[in-house]
Amino acid sequence: MTEDDSKPTAGRRDVVVPLRVYKTVTVFSTLFAVLCVVGGFILVDTATQRASVPASEIDVPVAIAGLGLILAGAVVYAFSTRFRTEEMGKSKDDATEESGNG
Amino acid sequence: MSLERKDDHDHKGWMESRELTPIETVYLTALIWLDKRLRIVDYLEILEDLYYKVNMQMPKSHTEQYNLDNKFWYWYPLYALGSFSTLAYIVAAISGALLGFYYAPAAAAADGSPTIAYDSVLLIMGQLNLGFFLRSVHRWAAQIMVAAVFLHMLRVYFTGAYKEPRELNWIIGIVLISLTLVFGYTGYLLPWSQLSFWAGQIGVEMSLSIPLIGEWVAQLMFGGFTLSQSTLVRMYILHVFVLPFVTTAVIAVHIGIVWMQGIAEPH
Repeated sequence: MTEDDSKPTAGRRDVVVPLRVYKTVTVFSTLFAVLCVVGGFILVDTATQRASVPASEIDVPVAIAGLGLILAGAVVYAFSTRFRTEEMGKSKDDATEESGNG
Repeated sequence: MSLERKDDHDHKGWMESRELTPIETVYLTALIWLDKRLRIVDYLEILEDLYYKVNMQMPKSHTEQYNLDNKFWYWYPLYALGSFSTLAYIVAAISGALLGFYYAPAAAAADGSPTIAYDSVLLIMGQLNLGFFLRSVHRWAAQIMVAAVFLHMLRVYFTGAYKEPRELNWIIGIVLISLTLVFGYTGYLLPWSQLSFWAGQIGVEMSLSIPLIGEWVAQLMFGGFTLSQSTLVRMYILHVFVLPFVTTAVIAVHIGIVWMQGIAEPH
């Protein structure tokens, strides 16, 4: 980890990537996360027949696969937040420029 | 390292120049692999380019002019709440019109205890093809509209969008949120279930508690001091005849004024 491209701020790793790669990360990680979470819920729904069967008749492997898929989507998305591109401040906290609106 | 210039698309060369953890390398490689094959980002960039070309003639917005985007961007999704509630209204109108084919506002008992109104709701929920779906859509649209209208009001308040010259539209908005709540209340009574009935009873008592005009209001809105057939019909006519016309007209004025005045930008 070199000084200029990645610095841990408050325990968070921060990786600076080129703009085009940042776009790739944003678009595909979001796509991935959405598909995983939606797919996960579909699996959980199938395993529990829309939460209508008693606990003993739940299809456990499918239910666990569904929960895993939801978790995987969350992990993929959370992992993507460490990447940012040059000159990208952290939203409102450390914007370098003044608003100039008085 | 070669002398060849590395551009953004030279992912391999770029990646070697950083110290990434193995997981990060795998992550980025996988996403870049997908990107090269699916090219979604390219198409999004074309759309972005198109957006700026379309807006070339437009004057800069306040947020652009004074560089407010970096402080204000997280408000932007909340600027969609007005459209969102309009959309919910349209969905509720369409699903409600379809429900109207099967619902009968009669408080008379068909044979024993259940009323015709309640029976028709049971018919919709149990017998009618897609009836369960249709009533669910109508109900959800109503719930979402109430929530969206309320959040829309909060957004307008906290961004100061109600200020001069938009005071009139704020007042109209208050009328609209009240109409929305009356819409919700009248619709809530229509199934004539226990929940509906006692909500109606509360309505009567609330009307009666108004000083001086209380009895008159209860007569006008509920057709008497106890709930009866005339209460149900009044709620029905309010819900499917009076309110749709009034609310649609007021929404048109509300949106028309926004159209004329433009969206209030942050200062």
